[in-house]
Amino acid sequence: MAQRLKEVDVVVIGVGMVGSIVAKELAAAGYKVVGLERGQTRATVPEFQSPAIHDELRFDIRKALMQDNTREPVTFRNQTSQVALPVRRWESFLPGTGLGGSMVHWNGQTYRFQANDFKLATRTRERYGKDFLDPDLTIQDWGVTYDELEPHYDRFEYLLGTSGKAGNIKGKIQPGGDPHESPRSREYPTPPQKEHFSGAMFRKAASSLGYHPFPQPSSNLSQPYTNPEGIKLNTCVFCGFCERYACEHFAKSVPQTVILPVLLANPNFQLRTGCQVQRINLDSTKKQATGVNYIDAVGREFEQPASLVITSTFAINNVRMLLLSAIGVPYNPATGQGVVGRNYAYQTMSTVASFFDDDVIVNPFMASGASGTVINDFAGDNFDHTGLGFIGGAFIGAVNTNGRPIQYHPVPPDTPAWGKGWKQAVVKHYNHTVMFSLHGSSVAQKQNYCDLDPTYRDAWGQPVLRITFDFPQNDIKMAAHVTAKGVEIGKAMGAKQVVGTPRKGPYTVTQYQTTHNTGGTVMGDNPKTSVVNRYLQSWDVPNVFVIGASNYPQNASWNPTGTLGALTYWAIDALKNKYLKDPGRLVSM
Amino acid sequence: MNAGLRCRVVLAVGSTLLAAVPLALEAGAATSPPANTADAAIATCQSCHGANGEGMAAAHVPRIAGQSAEYLKKQLDNYADGTRSNPIMVNFAKPLSDKVRKDLAARFAAMSAPFVAQLGSVNAVARARGHQLAYQGDEIERVQACNNCHGPDGVGVPHSAPYLAGQSAEYLASVIKAWHDGTRKNDAGQLMRSVAERLNDADIAAVAAYFASVELAVQ
Repeated sequence: MAQRLKEVDVVVIGVGMVGSIVAKELAAAGYKVVGLERGQTRATVPEFQSPAIHDELRFDIRKALMQDNTREPVTFRNQTSQVALPVRRWESFLPGTGLGGSMVHWNGQTYRFQANDFKLATRTRERYGKDFLDPDLTIQDWGVTYDELEPHYDRFEYLLGTSGKAGNIKGKIQPGGDPHESPRSREYPTPPQKEHFSGAMFRKAASSLGYHPFPQPSSNLSQPYTNPEGIKLNTCVFCGFCERYACEHFAKSVPQTVILPVLLANPNFQLRTGCQVQRINLDSTKKQATGVNYIDAVGREFEQPASLVITSTFAINNVRMLLLSAIGVPYNPATGQGVVGRNYAYQTMSTVASFFDDDVIVNPFMASGASGTVINDFAGDNFDHTGLGFIGGAFIGAVNTNGRPIQYHPVPPDTPAWGKGWKQAVVKHYNHTVMFSLHGSSVAQKQNYCDLDPTYRDAWGQPVLRITFDFPQNDIKMAAHVTAKGVEIGKAMGAKQVVGTPRKGPYTVTQYQTTHNTGGTVMGDNPKTSVVNRYLQSWDVPNVFVIGASNYPQNASWNPTGTLGALTYWAIDALKNKYLKDPGRLVSM
Repeated sequence: MNAGLRCRVVLAVGSTLLAAVPLALEAGAATSPPANTADAAIATCQSCHGANGEGMAAAHVPRIAGQSAEYLKKQLDNYADGTRSNPIMVNFAKPLSDKVRKDLAARFAAMSAPFVAQLGSVNAVARARGHQLAYQGDEIERVQACNNCHGPDGVGVPHSAPYLAGQSAEYLASVIKAWHDGTRKNDAGQLMRSVAERLNDADIAAVAAYFASVELAVQ
């Protein structure tokens, strides 16, 4: 029997990036906030310090910072006709756990989406006609516009101290930045990171072809920075251990380096770690949440009553939390009815490898997770799709994030997979290869969704999340198109051999692609096609807010974190200035 | 004044009047013609840094034996171009050609010198604090471990992060203080400034004494 605790104003489920920011704002506004984190507490000192944090076997191969899938797995299948099986080793995507969440192990690539992305369905119909799209695609507008989010993007980037070069300030194109970006109100808080050699080669080649290279916006900082919370970050040293690792230098913007010190100092906030939330509790009307039930690290079950519940877990876990709590109607792919779990999407990642002779020395190990040079000429709707048979695109760039010895060994496709021939090829190519990342959008389609698995349960006896996903034909066509463009840039660099690898189906969970899982609790302006309204408030239970990349109706051509930060501040604004002053529906049904 | 005489000046005053050392050396350097080979210049370096680059701890003169050539060259360049200031070193480095600076750096990088135990004692609390800063850092002060960049046990990571192990405590303390005060600023990305500005005098003394006590087999 759960022990009932004293009621608080707000319960935040998951103390990662979103949870830390929301809790900080609401605690500072005077509300009593409890943060429930399933993982452990951790800090830059001592947990993230060298040499332990540079253990490639522990963090890269054994995924030490990730959700414990021996206790809490997900199951996966490509098609509804298949039986889903548990993912026993994280490979395709890497959901984090612990204080600071998945952001602790991110690469720091801090993009904005473009104005067009938030009105994707409308703009696509307007530009290409209403019959352009495959009828299976379920893309839709977000219910919020870029202009509405711009101040919140700005606030998030200044919280992080993001290093970059603006391409468009209030409509005026800025030399050196991305001319395709939607207008921003001011320059990045810090200048771009130094460009690595492969980025410089990419810049030259892309410029020669008439494209518009620019430095990737990075939250591994180019110089010391004190953020508006009064917390100081250091300069990145290009050690090449960002993604899958934590930063030992206070140089990567993560909750520990940008907001947790302020949050943890506020007596209105209480952090409880090792707490596995079982469900959000509803009253008898099923229209009002009363709090949550959780099981602590020693197995005791508690009921934590609260007036407001915010679920801010990793995207797919937000979906599961709603399904376990019976909030909203689960999506049924056979009928197309229901919303929770609908529009699960991902990211369509392709690569181009350019192999050079010994005279081109790349030094891939001198890297940060976001110090690449990229172009947006083939991203989003920045090029004419007429006659192409797909929507979307990818940013293309020399995004050299690391040269770590166990995981980084580019070799040409005719190389043996193991043995002497493979070893010789690794030695030959390690320091003479430029890798491009082609970071593609992902459309939603009817067959891709999440629900509760009928068979497998977690360590607490609850059904695990089941993901049903395969790449839509739209995205496979898109990947082929942009990869051909990438190959042309590789050839313009003068590479001896250029190998393009466009993403193809079927989707596999056994190969790393990216941790950009989106959708399942999508936002929108119609309760029949969205789980939360434009303020990220549950249509069904108004005192539940769901904040995560699970809100994205489909995924755009860029890394999702910048947009999630903007949505977080957007939702906080609505909470503080609207909801908490007069609790109730912020948008009428 | 020849190198031998300068050496004797240093030795004569070293034990009694440390403050006089820089003045004596500065006066000597000002009258010397520039050496146009490393062979001609090295005796001047050795007069303070020791025949084997072992340094002169009590006079804040660092050990440079086995220090990375790239690091030493950068310091000579920075003394010459004014990015790093020290009245003695600026006068020595400025007249030297780029090639002589490079050759000198390589010569000292190739030297080895025995570890010299530091004089005096460090209390256990300070030693523990120094060890903590070296290996772990301090979350409250938001200081990362020295060894993140300076290598395991502070052995240095060429090219750019010098070894700290076995270095003179007096030198280390004075140079960390210079980073702290902003009087030394030839670091990339203000990396040392960012760390040192968060260390108080007790922490600076503790971490300097700790590294001075670390004896390495080869250096």
